[in-house]
Amino acid sequence: MNVETFKYDNRIVRAFGIATIVWGIVGMLVGLIAAVQLFFPDANLNFQFITFGRIRPLHTNAVIFAFVGNGMFMGVYYSLQRLCKARMFSDWLSWFNFWGWQTIIVAAAVTLPLGLTTSKEYAELEWPIKIAITIVWVAFAVNLFGTIVKRREKHMYVAIWFYIATVITVAVLHITNSMTMPAGLFKSYSMYAGVQDALVQWWYGHNAVAFFLTTPYLGLMYYFLPKAANRPVFSYRLSIIHFWALVFLYIWAGPHHLLYSALPDWAQSLGMVFSLMLIAPSWGGMLNGLLTLRGAWDKVRQDPVLKFMVVAITAYGMSTLEGPLLSIKTVNSLSHYTDWTIAHVHVGAMGWNGFLTFSMLYYLFPRLYRTSLWSTKLANYHFWIGLLGMMFYCVPIYIAGVTEGLMWKQFNHDGFLQYPNFLETILQVVPMFRLRAIGGTLYLVGAFMLAYNLYRTAKAGQFEPDTEAQAAALEKTPVAAGKSAFHRMLEGKPLFFTVLATVAILVGGLVEIVPMFLVQQNVPTIASVHPYSPLEVLGRDIYIREGCLGCHSQMIRPFRSETERYGEYSKAGEYVYDHPFLWGSERKGPDLAREGGKYPDAWHFNHMDDPRSTSPGSIMPRYSWLLTQKIEVDTLPSHLIALRRIGVPYPVGYENGPAQKDLSAQADKIVANLKLGSVKADSDKEIIALIAYLQRLGTDIKSAPVTTAAK
Amino acid sequence: MIYNIVHSILREAGNINGYGLFSFILFFGFFIGVLVWAFALKKNHLNHMSDLPLDGGEKNSNNTIKSEKL
Repeated sequence: MNVETFKYDNRIVRAFGIATIVWGIVGMLVGLIAAVQLFFPDANLNFQFITFGRIRPLHTNAVIFAFVGNGMFMGVYYSLQRLCKARMFSDWLSWFNFWGWQTIIVAAAVTLPLGLTTSKEYAELEWPIKIAITIVWVAFAVNLFGTIVKRREKHMYVAIWFYIATVITVAVLHITNSMTMPAGLFKSYSMYAGVQDALVQWWYGHNAVAFFLTTPYLGLMYYFLPKAANRPVFSYRLSIIHFWALVFLYIWAGPHHLLYSALPDWAQSLGMVFSLMLIAPSWGGMLNGLLTLRGAWDKVRQDPVLKFMVVAITAYGMSTLEGPLLSIKTVNSLSHYTDWTIAHVHVGAMGWNGFLTFSMLYYLFPRLYRTSLWSTKLANYHFWIGLLGMMFYCVPIYIAGVTEGLMWKQFNHDGFLQYPNFLETILQVVPMFRLRAIGGTLYLVGAFMLAYNLYRTAKAGQFEPDTEAQAAALEKTPVAAGKSAFHRMLEGKPLFFTVLATVAILVGGLVEIVPMFLVQQNVPTIASVHPYSPLEVLGRDIYIREGCLGCHSQMIRPFRSETERYGEYSKAGEYVYDHPFLWGSERKGPDLAREGGKYPDAWHFNHMDDPRSTSPGSIMPRYSWLLTQKIEVDTLPSHLIALRRIGVPYPVGYENGPAQKDLSAQADKIVANLKLGSVKADSDKEIIALIAYLQRLGTDIKSAPVTTAAK
Repeated sequence: MIYNIVHSILREAGNINGYGLFSFILFFGFFIGVLVWAFALKKNHLNHMSDLPLDGGEKNSNNTIKSEKL
């Protein structure tokens, strides 16, 4: 047997570890700033770049891609080398992956506050950054597969399967959902429109949770839990079933984000059924994790690494039970658009991802620095303050969510809405928003404790840049015949395995998405729906820039409680020119799908200048900069051309004169309307474009409500 | 008969028709396949696989540092 000596690269693991801590703190801090604005709207200091709508996506992106993303790379780069008994394929690619990823994060941190966003949740970054993500991800994939190919261990441990599924699926999701038409260096429009855009987006959005926040972390759980507990996983057989059932099922569940929307019923039902089935593999995985600790619970009492892991796995179990339950249409009719969803995702983010990341950091730093943890006591304090923070965050928000849902649906004895003023329902839960901010603060304090503890650990130890290891070279041996030969071959053949995993993840997406594009009955067109006017296009761009959809949905569900409050329920055909769709996913303010014509122009002007002047107690921030900033009319031609290229029927040449003329005429009309309301405004200000867009919303079917089948 | 029952359940569930039936059969077949596959694996192979994370090949493994200190 030819035993080879080689070195594991610890530098890259440390670099990703430090990035995880730094970006974790940044991401949580941004979340806290956003949370405070929900009960103290002036906390943005009337500074547009830190206003809720713009920093909410910064918070989600920072936590998902910067904190968890770096945590994932840290764990994968550590475990993959050891599971493959090989150094990473290329140190250059490792560092390209590291610096590329950090550059993307910095780009996100700059562009999102500037309002440069596609508005698609968790895919907000504009097209040049999306291309950069693709390049860095491919580098990671090459490095991962290269390491697997040069491995010295014949079989691929289940953690590696999860990594492979992650790499493949994230690539497929990212590319499919990023299909946009550039309309400038940092502006693009989604290729898809309305219902189709919504389906692709939530197929992506759901599976970003599945394959960025879940599968890689399950792989890490299958590696770090046995390591920390010093015992093998409870059932390897169960882990096989867990993997295949999970990757097959997850991809189907996306439409549960669009229940009771204008998405065709069959797609909604498929999403619901497959979401429910997901309970089985998810709980299989959770039990496999917890049962690994059988007979080792005494260690859990003492070791903070295991403590964090137990809570992480339990939180995984709770969110993966709650998620499917929220996918049941009846439950969803209450929970959707409320803070219940926010609570749900935070159990996952703070509990599962956060705590598992903390446990990995506490496990890795002492080993990288060849010492023991500086203070186990401080780590235990972190555990308790983190747990308390999570409770203080989630419990009030659960209460807020259910309260909102019930109040929105409540009718009085005479058959009228009990709370017809939306504001009343949101003011009811503001105390919960305050408690939530306390919870978030505690969690953040815990993260600082971790940073200090690991800093002191590093100071006390001696960093080991390379760990020397020995293993026998991999010799080609024929696969033994027998019943399990196929699986053993699969574990030994990464390419074949990857193909099978890819097929498993593609099937669900294809069955759901392809008919939406090919079968025209799925999106019945409405004759009276026509493209947005030039001024409305620019107003819509401002709506996207300010992140209005972070708080306002544009999708009225077919419930009496919604049609009474907002008007006629939304139809698929109303959104055929919506590139991108702006249905939103939560309501901190009322739905705007039928906002057009509800209030005079002057009301909108005053409301944007100071929401509390028209709606006392409103938690909406002031948008006074819209009153002074000029509309970027010179961007109009490129925006109209881009929209025409993706199917919006603006006549050729419209952008060279006629569009500008139409824009001026509409702006002048709004200025005249404002004058009637005793408001003096210039026609070239952004507020005018935004008013034009808001007044257009949902009015098409009011003018001629004739529905025709698609031609 | 079973086809009719499954078909009617899926129809009642939200008129998902052929898409639902196709998806259900696909997953059911896939899941049974994985089950058979997992249970056909040999015990010693499974043991070898589950022991993989515990042996990282490090020459001077400090994996036990923490438990010694505790």
